[in-house]
Parts: sequence; C-alpha cells; structure tokens
Amino acid sequence: MPALTGAPLNTRVLIGFMADAQVSLTFTRHSGRVATRATAGTRPGPAPLARSAPRAELKPTALLFLVAAGAAVAVALWFTGTPGGLRGPADWLTNAGRITGLLGGYGCVVLVLLMARIPVVERGMGADRLARWHSMGGRYVVSLLVAHALLVVLGYAETTGVSPLAQTHSLLFEYADVMMATVALGLLVGVGVASMRAVRPRLRYETWYYLHFYTYLALALSFAHAFANGAQFMNNPLNRAYWMAMYGGAAAALLWFRIVVPVRQNLRHRMRVARVVREGPGVISLQVTGEHLEELQAEAGHFFRWRFLTRDGWWQSHPYSLSAPPHPHFLRITIKDLGDHSATVGRIAVGTRVFAEGPYGAMTQARRTRRKVLLVAGGVGITPLRALFESMPGRPGEVELIYRVGSEAEIVLRRELDAIARARQRVVHYLVGHRGSSADPFVGNRLTRLVPDVRHRDVYVCGPPGMTDAAVAGLRAAGVPDQNIHTEEFEL
Amino acid sequence: MRRVMLAVTGTVAVLVMLLGFKTSPHSATARSALIGAQSPAGSGQTGTTQGGTGSTGSGTSGSGSTSGSGSTSGSGSTSSGTVTGQAVDTRYGPVQVQATFAGGRITNVQAVQIPQGTPRDAEINAYAGPMLAQEALQAQSAQIDIISGATYTSEGYAQSLQSAIDQASG
Repeated sequence: MPALTGAPLNTRVLIGFMADAQVSLTFTRHSGRVATRATAGTRPGPAPLARSAPRAELKPTALLFLVAAGAAVAVALWFTGTPGGLRGPADWLTNAGRITGLLGGYGCVVLVLLMARIPVVERGMGADRLARWHSMGGRYVVSLLVAHALLVVLGYAETTGVSPLAQTHSLLFEYADVMMATVALGLLVGVGVASMRAVRPRLRYETWYYLHFYTYLALALSFAHAFANGAQFMNNPLNRAYWMAMYGGAAAALLWFRIVVPVRQNLRHRMRVARVVREGPGVISLQVTGEHLEELQAEAGHFFRWRFLTRDGWWQSHPYSLSAPPHPHFLRITIKDLGDHSATVGRIAVGTRVFAEGPYGAMTQARRTRRKVLLVAGGVGITPLRALFESMPGRPGEVELIYRVGSEAEIVLRRELDAIARARQRVVHYLVGHRGSSADPFVGNRLTRLVPDVRHRDVYVCGPPGMTDAAVAGLRAAGVPDQNIHTEEFEL
Repeated sequence: MRRVMLAVTGTVAVLVMLLGFKTSPHSATARSALIGAQSPAGSGQTGTTQGGTGSTGSGTSGSGSTSGSGSTSGSGSTSSGTVTGQAVDTRYGPVQVQATFAGGRITNVQAVQIPQGTPRDAEINAYAGPMLAQEALQAQSAQIDIISGATYTSEGYAQSLQSAIDQASG
C-alpha cells in the first residue's frame, strides 16, 4: 500500500491520568491539508468490495433454542418408550443411564455440528463463540457419557443382584458392541483431558488439534452399541431411523462444509502468495492473490483459515484475519510470531500456493447499528480492526480506534493506521502498558474520559481472551448496551 | 466453577424430575389396572391375546392346553394338573408360563418361554423368572408385582398365568 507510507502527522500526547507510566497516546486530528469530508477520493488503499445483501445467520439464542429442542426430543425418545411405575434404585439407575446415554449421543452430534463450519452458524455465532461453546459443551457431553456408563453398570448390577465388577465384565464381553463403545468413551475422555486447562498448554496446538480426529472414530465405534442394546432403539424402528438421520446428517454436513466446499473453492480461486512484507520484528504481512476473489464476498473483519502448501506446513491450518479490506485481486493477512506455526510462516516464499477456507467471522460492518463506532484492539487483534478502521464508512470523528499493546515495540501496522487516521480524520489511541497498569483503559472512568461518547457507539473488540473480558466489563460499566458490543477473541 | 455446579445440579434436577414422574403412582395406575382387570378367575377372557401382533412367533401353540397326568377334574373350580398358559407377546418377545395346580392351589409356576434374545434379556429373566414364580405362589393368583427392570416380562407373565388359571378353573 504505497499510498499509506507517507510520514504521519501525529501529535503524541501524554494524558494526565496515565502520565506516570510509559503510556503514549497518539491523537490524529483533522489537519487543514486533508479534505474535511471522507469521500471515495480520500480513501487510502483499494476501495472495499461492495457489500452483498445481508445473509442469513443463526443468532446464539436461536441456536441455543434449537439445541435445547433437540435435547428435548432425545429425552422424549426415553419418555415415550418407558412405562410408568419405575421403582427402586435399580430402575432409577438404569433409566438415568438411558437418559444420559441418549443426551450424550445427541450431544456428540451437536458438538460435531458446532465445528462443521456451517455458514449460517458461523456468521451468527462467530468462530470464537463456537469454539467456546464446543469446549464447554465437550466437557459436559463427556461427563454425560461417563455418567451413562457408570449408571448403566450400577443399574444393571442392582437389577440382577450381581456386583458392579461382574456386571462390567458381562457388559464388556457378552453385550454386543459394548466393548467398542467403551473404547470410544476412552478416546473421548482422552480428548477431554487433553483439552483441560491444565494439560492443553503443554501440548502443541497441532497435537491437540489432531487428537480431535479420534472423536470421529469414537462416534463411529459407539454408534452400534446403542442400537444393539438400547431400550429405546432395539424394538423401535422409528427411533432408529431418527437417530440414524441425526448422525447421517451431521456426517454429511461435516463432509460438505469442511471438505467439499473448501476444495471446490480453492480449485476455483487458486490462491498464491504474491508478496511478503516484514512489518517489524516477528511480524509479517502476506499478500495473497487469486482468481475470482470477489466471489468470496469477503469483507473487512472477516478471517480465513489458511494453509500454506509448503512441504512441512501444508497440514496445518490457522485462522488469520484480513488485515486490509479485501481487494478483487488481493487479500492481505498480517501474522505475528506467536507459536510454532507463525514461526514457519516467516519462511514462506512468494509463489507458495495457499489453501484458504472462508470467509468466516461475524465482526463486520453488518453488525453496526449506530453511526459512531469505537474499535478496541489488543495486541495482534489489531488485524481485523485495521481493515475495519479503513473500510467503515463514517464522517470525521465517527470511527475511533483504541489499540492496546504491552510495549511500544508490539505496535504493528502503525504507519498504515496513522495514514488512515489522517486521510479519513479518524482518531487512534495507542495505549502502551500491561493490564492493570495506568494504560489500562478499562479501569475506573478512564474509558469515558478517553472516548466521552462511548455510550453512543457500536464497539468492536478484538484481542486475547483476558483483554476481551476486561474490555466487555469496562464497556458495560461505561454504559454500552450488550447488543452494541461485538467481540472476537483470538486464541492459539 | 459456578457453571460446572449449575450444569451438574441442573442435569440431576431434570433427571430426578423425569424419573420421579415415571415413578409416581399416577403413571403406574394404568399398568396395575391392566393386570387387575384380568385377575378375577373365570371372567370369560380365556384365550385373549394381548394387543400387538397377536402371534406368538414360536412353535408353541398359542392357546393354552392341559397336559400331563392330571386332567381337569370337571368338577368346577377346583382342579389339579399342569396347565400351560397362553403365550403373550411382549416388547422383547413372547412370555409363556406353565402352572401346576393341586387341590385348587397353585403349587408350581414355570416359564416355558421368556425373552432370551439379548444378553440383557437373559440376565434379567434368569433373575426375574424365579422371583415372579415366587410371587405367584405367594399370591395364589396372577396379581403379582412388577419386578423392577423386568416390567414387560412381569406383565406378560401375569397375563399368561392368568390364562392358565382361567383354563384350570374353567
């Protein structure tokens, strides 16, 4: 972006309440040399692509409702097929085992569908929320399945008056497919343990990610035991048909949206790395070119999952936001050296073929309901906001950006941000300092002092999880309604 | 942590509610009544099969027949001998019992057919069969309690036994 490389005309200001620390704020103000109104002519860089008509999306509440309805159906399978007059601990244990089994089996399907990259779901939920739901739901479903196994063993043992140990033995060796289902449960518990907060950071991202493929094996292994032994399925073809349709539908969605669609898309767009730009220590920007890119209908704020087809990197896929508004011939991402993968990205040569899935993400202009906007970036979270900062329409002063970093050296894309600020008369606040330091804008009334009309703005937040939580709390305290806070977390 | 507690208590509460509903006497009435309605001996319902497919699906003849040494004495309600009850289709397979009478009393009840299709059926019925027989001997009628975990078998057992009693007293 040669248009953006001019020296910024910013004034650095130290603000009173933060003056004691290494805080620097840069205010870019309207200068007489810049047109007073943001018109197409003053827009730096390529014009953003025209936005398509609003596309269907499934909001969290709607999705929650659907999930709950599905759970109710699963319970109804048990309810309608179970005669009244249960008595004694044996009946209770066994039937609790059946309900938890049905709910757990259903929950597995939900977990798969959450990760199936179904466009309406991705758009309405955002990938970060989906991942959170998946990880919380995963814990819950694995717990249900463990409970199912224990309850069935205890219930069966109690019914026939044998020891739980003997019952376990007979379940494993005499009941059809229970052995396979037990192996499946072991796999699911293993993946659950690997995802636990205490264990997960010790694993490489890829190890953890590929461990998840065992869950598909687990689902396949466990499927048969329900039909062979489940009271709700053995003698009920209708229930069996429903269950099969559910699992079949999930498998089809997974195949379609995670394999067929991306492969087709990449055969059409044939993306390659066109330029590699060093933005600073450990930070590079990649410009990716391809055919018919406008058909992707990408927007500022979107991200793609990228796979660089090098010898050692092709098998890893990582989400990176577009760090500039999409152009009909180029997409740009900016990557900071955060882990194993981003380090190898630094060695990517011009011409490398790229396999991208997307666009994903919900944090676009489409979310905006107010004229005034505040963008809040934490660290590398600047990338989608950098694109929005440029592309969002607005009169002078209507779009503001707060950019939080731990140290001055971590500020990336500064020249571009300053240039956009200057050209479009937008304000950037660089807040340097760690959380809780005097540079933390989400303490006390600092936010309101920094952006007095924050209550009347749509706020887009992108940063690491801790920062996002703090930001949301701070914004609420400052009086921003929840529906005007749009967040996206990034997490390695 | 609060979420975990919420999930656990919520799930347990729902489970208890559901199981409680299925345990309540209200929902059990229908079932007891079903057995009760057929309990009076000689109520003219001899040989009726329970709704459903109506066929026993096995080689055993569907209608009850007296067999063995003691034939029915013909002197009204008191009888001796062994009577095979009707085969009753349940969700898990046919149930059929054989009752031995001596001097108007039930002296022995045995299952001739009982679901064995799955390991679970085999396990349950190996345990439920003797218990049901015990109950029948104590009650001296088909008004027997449902064995926990073997609802359908208990039901079929009672019906088959009832048909045997009906034949013996007929």
